[in-house]
Amino acid sequence: MRRFLVLLLVVSLSITFAGTAAAQEEEKVLVVGLSEDYKSLDPSRAYEPGGSLIHHSVYDTLVTFPSDSVSEILPNLAASWDISDDGLVYTFSLRDDVVFSNGDPLTAEDVVFSFNRMKNLKDNPSFLADTIANVEATDDLTVVMTLTQPDPAILAKLIFDAFSVLNADEVRANGGTDAPDAAETDTAEEWLMSHSAGTGPYMVESYDPTVQTVLVRNPNYWGEPAYFDRIIIRNLPETSTQKLALEAGDIDIAMDVIADQLPSFESNPDIQVFSTQSDTLIFLLCNQDPAIGGPVSNPLVQKAIRYAMNYEELRFLSGKGANTPAAMVPIGFAGALDPSEALTRDLDMARSLLAEAGYADGFEINLEYPDWNYIGTDFNIVAQKVQADLAEVGIKATLVPQEFQMSLEAYRGGRQGFSLWLWNPDYYDTLDYVEFLPGGVVGNRANWTDANADPEILALRDAVKVETDAAMRNELFREIQLYEQESGPFVPLFQPGVHFAFRSDLQGFSYNGQWRVDLTLLYR
Amino acid sequence: MSLHQFLARRLLLMIPLLIGISLVAFIISNAIPADPTAANLGERAAADPEIVATFREKWGLDEPLHVQYLTYLSNLLKGDMGTSIRSRRPVSEELGRFLPATIELATFGILVSLVVGVIFGIISAVWRNRLIDFIVRILSLIGVSAPVFWLALLGLILLYLRWDVVPGPGRLDARIRPPPNVTGLYTVDSLLTGDWRTFRNALEHLILPSLVLGAYSAGLITRITRSSMLEVLSMEYMTTARSKGLREWTVITRHGLRNALMPVVTIIGLSYGNLLSGAVLTETIFAWEGIGRYAYNAARTLDFPVLMGVSMLIAIIFVLMNLIVDVLYYWLDPRLRQA
Repeated sequence: MRRFLVLLLVVSLSITFAGTAAAQEEEKVLVVGLSEDYKSLDPSRAYEPGGSLIHHSVYDTLVTFPSDSVSEILPNLAASWDISDDGLVYTFSLRDDVVFSNGDPLTAEDVVFSFNRMKNLKDNPSFLADTIANVEATDDLTVVMTLTQPDPAILAKLIFDAFSVLNADEVRANGGTDAPDAAETDTAEEWLMSHSAGTGPYMVESYDPTVQTVLVRNPNYWGEPAYFDRIIIRNLPETSTQKLALEAGDIDIAMDVIADQLPSFESNPDIQVFSTQSDTLIFLLCNQDPAIGGPVSNPLVQKAIRYAMNYEELRFLSGKGANTPAAMVPIGFAGALDPSEALTRDLDMARSLLAEAGYADGFEINLEYPDWNYIGTDFNIVAQKVQADLAEVGIKATLVPQEFQMSLEAYRGGRQGFSLWLWNPDYYDTLDYVEFLPGGVVGNRANWTDANADPEILALRDAVKVETDAAMRNELFREIQLYEQESGPFVPLFQPGVHFAFRSDLQGFSYNGQWRVDLTLLYR
Repeated sequence: MSLHQFLARRLLLMIPLLIGISLVAFIISNAIPADPTAANLGERAAADPEIVATFREKWGLDEPLHVQYLTYLSNLLKGDMGTSIRSRRPVSEELGRFLPATIELATFGILVSLVVGVIFGIISAVWRNRLIDFIVRILSLIGVSAPVFWLALLGLILLYLRWDVVPGPGRLDARIRPPPNVTGLYTVDSLLTGDWRTFRNALEHLILPSLVLGAYSAGLITRITRSSMLEVLSMEYMTTARSKGLREWTVITRHGLRNALMPVVTIIGLSYGNLLSGAVLTETIFAWEGIGRYAYNAARTLDFPVLMGVSMLIAIIFVLMNLIVDVLYYWLDPRLRQA
């Protein structure tokens, strides 16, 4: 028996360490390292940013952005579109050469099915369809979409993955439905976890949750075929592990690089880094309700806090790529004020505002925030910096870090008096930042409502919500942001940097906020 | 009491224990002043009362707490552990996927720590206060005190990046497909299908994580073995054995080690339970999707069915480990058999 065990050990060890190098595969494979945040590959339930990498490679939308910006809307499955004068009816003419990965031609019916299904699933992205009253196919290649009210952001919304066009017949055959009760009756999600029904350059080959997702090139793709035969998206939840795997050459792109890692990447000739400011807006919220906000519900105090922040040092703390927006519209969005127009620190101004508000000797306040680290931004450190800056004008802030979910609930319920939070865009149109105005999603959390807001800002808000002319919109957004600098319960702190690192032999890298990296454009 | 009676009694005792654990886990996860609606729905969906109502109804969150608990228990008796709120997949299916990964890692971890710990412990005791003893004691101190994430990163930087002797994170290389699922243990499944390349890859991927995971237990076992051996070595029956003219090696292993192993068995049982349930950091750094990370993610998103399932599973593991330890005692110590 013992001899057998020894033999077994020797055999297994020799197999393990024998230098039988595996035959090199001829296949061209791209390996992406990502901290997996998505839990579904059903594009109509898309929500998390990580999923965009996949949806954007597998599915197409009617219109799209350039691969490196979100400033322009381009045709995609729709060759052209018409907007009625009242802004309520959009007529899309589809391309006639598009086929799904199974060879079926794309028809207007597929678009109608996909949009209705997304809306009726009542899942995370369904709110994007709130302004859509009706979608119909008037012929094989024409889709007519009617809105409930003019929505200047609708085309930008249509670019989000949730509006991906799926093969209606194939999805129906696998349990899908676009009926009003789809939330209860649709069962296609399971099939869509390991298959795809799109028109994009790739198809889903397999999805092993929390391990990896494998995409394979779509042989029936209607456009220019992609370079890589296969794309493997590996879940590497720890950023330092991603860094090591990239340095070792086991992955080609690290999607979750943090600012601390940049110096060591920059000295490595095998690796290139891409840094820019993210679309995440980190801000302070002051509750307008005196019972909750106390002193910070006073508009003069709010303005004083805006002047008390040392924005330059906050940016420095946040690391490379970070930038400070001038108001509550992040840099990169159409109509955002130029960063040069941002407020700069003015302690005398802050002190005199506090004196005017009756707080010449300052006051004490709790600063609540979720105790977490978001894309390299440690909220504890930001809160400490805010505390130090406030102390210079006599405001003694006590830091109250909270467990994330508990903090989130208090924030969403409008129960935080003075807190530190972030906002990511729901869709890539400036209209998303109307949520920071009275009655908006974030406005309400600060108890800034139609009842207690200035008529001036309410008028601006109502005007911008329906304005479709680009120049007029920019002018309205400008006025809104200038108002936000003067008044209002928010203090914009910074947009942290976002960083990607990839092997130097990889070409064709480009970034935009919507889908981050277009994997289908990469080549070696 | 025969071994059978003993086993039967212990297994019966598990039933009230598990009910108690399920109740405690249920109460604790519901006592957290946070709402799974906020944790699982997106920003806008959570602001839409209709979507929130659909969500609460779908997951039974609109029922009173005692009804929720009784529903859970009765489903559990039918073998239904519920569905994960986060992934919308059955909890039992997910446990079936994540548990083998952890078992594989923890088993290799405990094997490493057992082999290293016992050998080092003996060496250290036999050559007490010599240079080798000091070296072993310092190593075991590092093992028990070094933070696991630090050891893991250091190991990756040196063995993976600099010297390239072990592969990177994950259970297999990205380009290698997992073997067909039989036991879920990649090493076993690849052997069963005779896929040597996958077996070798899976084994290589196990080396570093199991060293890191086993470091703490290895240090602990070294120290326990050493002190226990020292005690045994001073016993009179050791002198007797030597005076019979037995070879020194025989004296140490037959007469010394067997008696010194008793406390080590206890430690191994408990360590194995700990390795199975507490490997979150190791699993995160090595992208080793096991039960630890599964539980961590569930706690973060208040995924009640998963939290319950994992709590029950870990409780069962600990109870079974204790049972195995007791059976081993029975086998190692003849006095217990006669009692």
